[in-house]
Amino acid sequence: MKTGLFIISFLLLTVAAFSQKYFTKNGTVSFQAGTALEDIDATNKSAASVFDAATGQIEFAVLIRGFELRRALMQEHFNENYMESNKYPKATFKGKISNLQSISFQKPGSYPATVSGVLEIHGVKKQVTANGTLQVSGTSVQALAKFPVIINDYNIAIPGIVRDKISQTAVVTVNCTYTPLH
Amino acid sequence: MKRRKIILLLAIIAIAGVLYGLYWYYKQPQDIRSAPPQLESTAARIIADFNRDEQVATKKYVDKVILINGKVADIKVESNGTATVFLDGNDPLASVTCSFYNDQAGSLKTVKPGAMIKIKGVCTGKLMDVVFNKCSIVP
Repeated sequence: MKTGLFIISFLLLTVAAFSQKYFTKNGTVSFQAGTALEDIDATNKSAASVFDAATGQIEFAVLIRGFELRRALMQEHFNENYMESNKYPKATFKGKISNLQSISFQKPGSYPATVSGVLEIHGVKKQVTANGTLQVSGTSVQALAKFPVIINDYNIAIPGIVRDKISQTAVVTVNCTYTPLH
Repeated sequence: MKRRKIILLLAIIAIAGVLYGLYWYYKQPQDIRSAPPQLESTAARIIADFNRDEQVATKKYVDKVILINGKVADIKVESNGTATVFLDGNDPLASVTCSFYNDQAGSLKTVKPGAMIKIKGVCTGKLMDVVFNKCSIVP
């Protein structure tokens, strides 16, 4: 009986320790898509993200209208013409940390991480893989990553007149500080 | 003589056109810190509106400058300079996320969770929370 109780409480404790989820609602996601002719960069400071330290499942979501660009006209074209943010208000990523076994969420440090999954932008889903870093500290986990996104993959039409100003590949940067979800 | 006048007039129109184009091209996004709010509401009301009908709420709030009244649930200032205030939306699953202009982070030093606050910002839509960006505190 006692052993049974012990095993059950042990299991419950390990389950509790292993189902550790981390989340943020104020992550930063930005991209650079400029060329030598024009600087184009945009930042979104309210990305929502959650990951499960036990399974490696990780998800991100951003509102397209939350990207801030340098000029009013750029902002308008980004929303109305390219991203069609009324029709596709969000971009999401759902995937998995593939090298979970080499990351310890109990031991502070900086761990390289690889994430693979499905990125959905402008209503188009694509399989992507990105490398980044997870910085584990006492109370939080910071995720840093940088990866290329080929604009053409997501059915985003760039008119000929601005083709020299907009890069064919946007470089996306992620900086999220997660806290444990209780 | 008449011909000269016409050429001069055309040149003026052309220059005005180019200047107008350049003005639009280089125009900065609106500074929400000094923009008049288009609508005033409370965090709880905004959450309730989005819960009831997201499409209707999107029409009502998104892309508009809103003055939000609410109770501070949490404040986050990150090492990369971003500053965010979360307002209690009277809903266990959703609150209002207010992402501030980075240069406004200092104004949050004296703000404590539980305090009533007025924040002005632009609504960008709903994820888990209803999100506002370009926020600042309205005294």
